[in-house]
Amino acid sequence: MLEIKSVSKSFGELHVLKDVNLNVAKGEVVCIIGPSGSGKSTLLRCMNFISPPDSGEIVFDKVSWRSYRSKFNVLANLRYEKKLPQLRAEIGMVFQHFNVFPHMTTLENVSLGLQKVRKIKKDEAKQVATKSLEQVGLSDKLQVYPDQLSGGQKQRVAIARALALNPKVMLFDEVTSALDPELVSGILDEIRRLVREGMTMIIVTHEMKFAFQVAHRIVFMDQGKIVQVGTPAEIRNTQEPRAKAFLSSILE
Amino acid sequence: MDNSVPLFDFAAVWSSRALLLEGFGIAMFCATAAIILAMIIGLFIALMRLSNSRILRAFAFVYTQLFRGVPLYVLVIWVYFGLAIVANINLPKIPAGIITLALLNSGYLSETFRSGILAVSVGQSEAGAAIGLTKRQIKRFIVLPQAFRIVLAPSGNQFVDAIKDTAILSIIGVPELMRMAQQQADLFYRPFEFYTTAGILYFIAVMGVTKLFTFIEKRMSRIGFTNSSQKLTNVGEYI
Amino acid sequence: MDKYDFSWRIIQENLPELINGLIITLQISVAGMAFALLFGLFFATLRFSQYRILNIVSNSIVQVGRSLPLFVLLFWIYYGLSLKFKINFTDFQAGALALGITGGAYMAEVFRGGITAIDKGQSDAAFAIGLNRMQTSRLIVLPQAIRIILPQTVNIYVGLLKGATIVSVIGVADMIYVAQYVSLETFRPFELYSFAGVVFIALTLSVASFAWLLERQLSGKSRRG
Repeated sequence: MLEIKSVSKSFGELHVLKDVNLNVAKGEVVCIIGPSGSGKSTLLRCMNFISPPDSGEIVFDKVSWRSYRSKFNVLANLRYEKKLPQLRAEIGMVFQHFNVFPHMTTLENVSLGLQKVRKIKKDEAKQVATKSLEQVGLSDKLQVYPDQLSGGQKQRVAIARALALNPKVMLFDEVTSALDPELVSGILDEIRRLVREGMTMIIVTHEMKFAFQVAHRIVFMDQGKIVQVGTPAEIRNTQEPRAKAFLSSILE
Repeated sequence: MDNSVPLFDFAAVWSSRALLLEGFGIAMFCATAAIILAMIIGLFIALMRLSNSRILRAFAFVYTQLFRGVPLYVLVIWVYFGLAIVANINLPKIPAGIITLALLNSGYLSETFRSGILAVSVGQSEAGAAIGLTKRQIKRFIVLPQAFRIVLAPSGNQFVDAIKDTAILSIIGVPELMRMAQQQADLFYRPFEFYTTAGILYFIAVMGVTKLFTFIEKRMSRIGFTNSSQKLTNVGEYI
Repeated sequence: MDKYDFSWRIIQENLPELINGLIITLQISVAGMAFALLFGLFFATLRFSQYRILNIVSNSIVQVGRSLPLFVLLFWIYYGLSLKFKINFTDFQAGALALGITGGAYMAEVFRGGITAIDKGQSDAAFAIGLNRMQTSRLIVLPQAIRIILPQTVNIYVGLLKGATIVSVIGVADMIYVAQYVSLETFRPFELYSFAGVVFIALTLSVASFAWLLERQLSGKSRRG
């Protein structure tokens, strides 16, 4: 369903991704682990072109997407930028720092995409958004602004905002890293719920126990490359030296 | 005092109150019209400076530098007399004054708006993009509303400056407060009383506007929005 | 109106006088800045005083100083005060004083802002290692505050420089004044005012970019601190 084909990206001299390939099937849960700076988040952000890759392609639902920027043809650039949202609307994303919109209530945060992207009428959008917020346990916070919410609640809003659009894939970018420890498990439970529902998901995380529990496959990245891909059991018993060193340093 | 006239005599001021108030009204009108115009121009210039096109960026850069660098005194003479000489455009006094103030303030406001837009974190645009909003929608629904709240206070300061700057329009003969005070002071030979009164009126206007903007800001934070983004202050540029 | 034929030679011919005017502009702006620093420091100190009444008084004076247009202040001092109280300010003195009051009101804010911007943790830490009040402000607070204050001070000076253009209205023979009387003699207002304008833009922009460089330099240093 989501294919990453020889994707590379660099920031100036720094090569963050070097010819990365990965296939994610429908209903699969893939967790990406690895030391910080290994390119996990960048890879995730390339999948919906939030950070466009320098080269390579993303095939989603049999449609191929590449980065495009013409130096001269401004119209073509505009056309391309108009098309990208179609891809992004099908791929939900949740960020480390929540990125909820501070000037909108919880309900407005969630219904914005429904109204402006899915072009659903306001009343109906509010209903869908309410339902989406109920599912993450925030039905009593609909009219509240984000600055009155805890980190965990903000992240729930962000999850509801992504899910409301009924995406085919969900991307999670270290969604518990900015949370106080006591709030982490609640957010992980939300993801577990999605696993049970059969959602296709790609999860970048530092929560190893969680990753090994929920993932169908685990991807280990280091220095901009995918070093190893396998089932949790395979990765746990890996003989690959870098992966082994990383896991033993974390799992103790 | 060697003459028999009382030391302070505000009777002349009182008798000219209608003229002074009219001048006050004209000053406030000029400042308000100018600041509204300046906000519109300033927003466009700010968006140009943040655009992808190098030509637009360069133009906007020169624009801001030019109008932030030029003294108001020179600019007003240039707009009122210069345009007439060079382009044969004879603007009436009040529009010439408003245009001058608008040009000057748009230079400052565009910088304020630009930093306000930049103060909205990148994560906000990314989150907008992630749910499939187009660039234009991101700007309209996510970035600009947040930037607006950030630039509110500095825009208020700009408005205050515009009010103070109207006094300089007297040199091209705009019948605003300072001009009226000047005329009456010469007429009654009571400069101290008239300029003191003018000063008090300016003070009242400035305080009023300051209070108004503080109120709006409070109002906005009460409906839930307290942005963590840094507040913009560059007090030095507002003389 | 007939077509205006430009004659830029007029600038060349009157260059010495224009430059003299420019020097007077610079002098009056520097004198104004000196007053501004003095007033600013004085009122900022009052605002940190432990007597509430002094806080309030200095606060109100700063507030009034910031609210009055320079133009009004100038006329008030030059025509109002001097006539009323028979203080015969020269035009230059009146101009410098007006610039100084306006600038001082802003400087008071800059000083106050610079000092309050320093995190209270800094002075707590200084007290914790045994420094006394004096040492704390001299060694810890002031060096950090100066990084904030200095660039803003240069910005205030830019403001005064621009403000200084209006002192010609009370007869200070600055560059604008020269441009004015030469254009009355030669009927070349456009060339002369444009020249003055360009000189001012160049002047203010170079001082402003100096402030900008200063700011970058200083903030770069503090980041490592």
